[in-house]
Amino acid sequence: MKIASSRRSSAINPRQSRGASKTGRSAGSSFGVGHLIEFTRNLDLIQTISVLTLVLAIIFQLDHWLFRIVSGICFLMFALRPSSLRQPLFWFALALAGTITIILTWEQVDNHKYLLVYWTWVLFVVHLFRDAEQQKHILLFNARFFLCLIFLAASAQKLASPSYRSGEMFEHYLYVDPRFAAFGKLVGINPVVGDVVTRKMHFLRSPFADVEGNDIHIEGSDRARIAAVAMTWWDLGLQLAIGALLLLRWRRTDEIAHIVLLFFIFTTYLPAPVFGFGWILAIMGFTLAKDKFPRIATAYLLSFFAILLYQLPWRDWVLRS
Amino acid sequence: MGMFAAADELANRYAKVFLVHSDGSRDPLPQLTPEDQDLLSRALEYPARENFLRAARMIGSENWIPAFQRRPVLKVNGNGDPVSAEDKAFRVMVASPLRSESEDRNPSVEIQFWKLTYDPHTRRLHCSLAETLLFGSQELYGSRRMRNDS
Repeated sequence: MKIASSRRSSAINPRQSRGASKTGRSAGSSFGVGHLIEFTRNLDLIQTISVLTLVLAIIFQLDHWLFRIVSGICFLMFALRPSSLRQPLFWFALALAGTITIILTWEQVDNHKYLLVYWTWVLFVVHLFRDAEQQKHILLFNARFFLCLIFLAASAQKLASPSYRSGEMFEHYLYVDPRFAAFGKLVGINPVVGDVVTRKMHFLRSPFADVEGNDIHIEGSDRARIAAVAMTWWDLGLQLAIGALLLLRWRRTDEIAHIVLLFFIFTTYLPAPVFGFGWILAIMGFTLAKDKFPRIATAYLLSFFAILLYQLPWRDWVLRS
Repeated sequence: MGMFAAADELANRYAKVFLVHSDGSRDPLPQLTPEDQDLLSRALEYPARENFLRAARMIGSENWIPAFQRRPVLKVNGNGDPVSAEDKAFRVMVASPLRSESEDRNPSVEIQFWKLTYDPHTRRLHCSLAETLLFGSQELYGSRRMRNDS
């Protein structure tokens, strides 16, 4: 990854640079935090975002042969010739492959995969321009637009859904969804309940069984109810706050929005294994924070490592313990 | 489940698929091929008739043959314990590359679309039949493949 020279960075914003050096000396001389902030500040925004998006497309890619092949070729080209990232054709190929894949499998594609494809089109447009300021402007506009759209639209949809508002959805998933089994155990829900419910559900789905009244009882607990209601309003509250705060476009509200978004990323993608979504939210957050809030941008960089670490099989460890 | 989450989604939807023969008898298809299952899952994501028809056409195009003798339907109580066997029994059909001479070559396909709902107050999981879609042989195979296959 290309790192712009310190001289260039200072020339763009000497005040910020001085601030960072001071921060580096006072807060991070022993722990390296200052150096990390300085490192983040000196990254080239467009190139960093391009690399992070390519990593996203490779690691959390669309599950289709066309996208796998094209993203693999793109990665190989980048490895052999890093400057290929700056070519519009590079992003056009990736965006087109993603779009075709989504058209072919549109019913099954997760919504964050749609977001990945939109974002690759944004990068294609960005690289059509030669002027760095223009590129940055397009990137910043789209990052804010998508973050506001995602969080406000998701909040509106959840508020409109009675089964979501009531906490019914999360309570049900805490019992039956294996992705939540480890988290459920941590909040005191016996994983055996999930196994029993799965076995009972087999009868509901089978044409060779006739279940009385078409319903089955779940040996649940009040803990699941409390956890589900807390998860529901925690999730909705954070999402609404992020979308609304970013809409205002004030420095102070932006800063709070970033802190809430980071909290959302660090906490949501630990229990919820939708890592690609976390990654793209972090890309957009980093885009907006990079020049304005170097410390926050550094936290976004750390969140990428956290998302990778969250893929450790900790759920199996919890369930086995 | 994603950013746009609600209880009514694929995880809480399922289908029961039956072959319906010209004499009115029905055979459930509990073991679909991966391709059939893929199309059926897509239809369950967006449960429009044309999406179910696409799945039904794929399912109807397989050669279904009975694998075992008739299997009785079990009566199961709310705790998930089988309590008795009903009089009703079905054959277990499997997709095969071999074509049975005795099987109906142009069966209709019935897809029952079911939804699961959870009631947090009673802690009961309830399934209800949302829709039954019956696709006749003309709709499934058309004039292209009314399988008189001489």
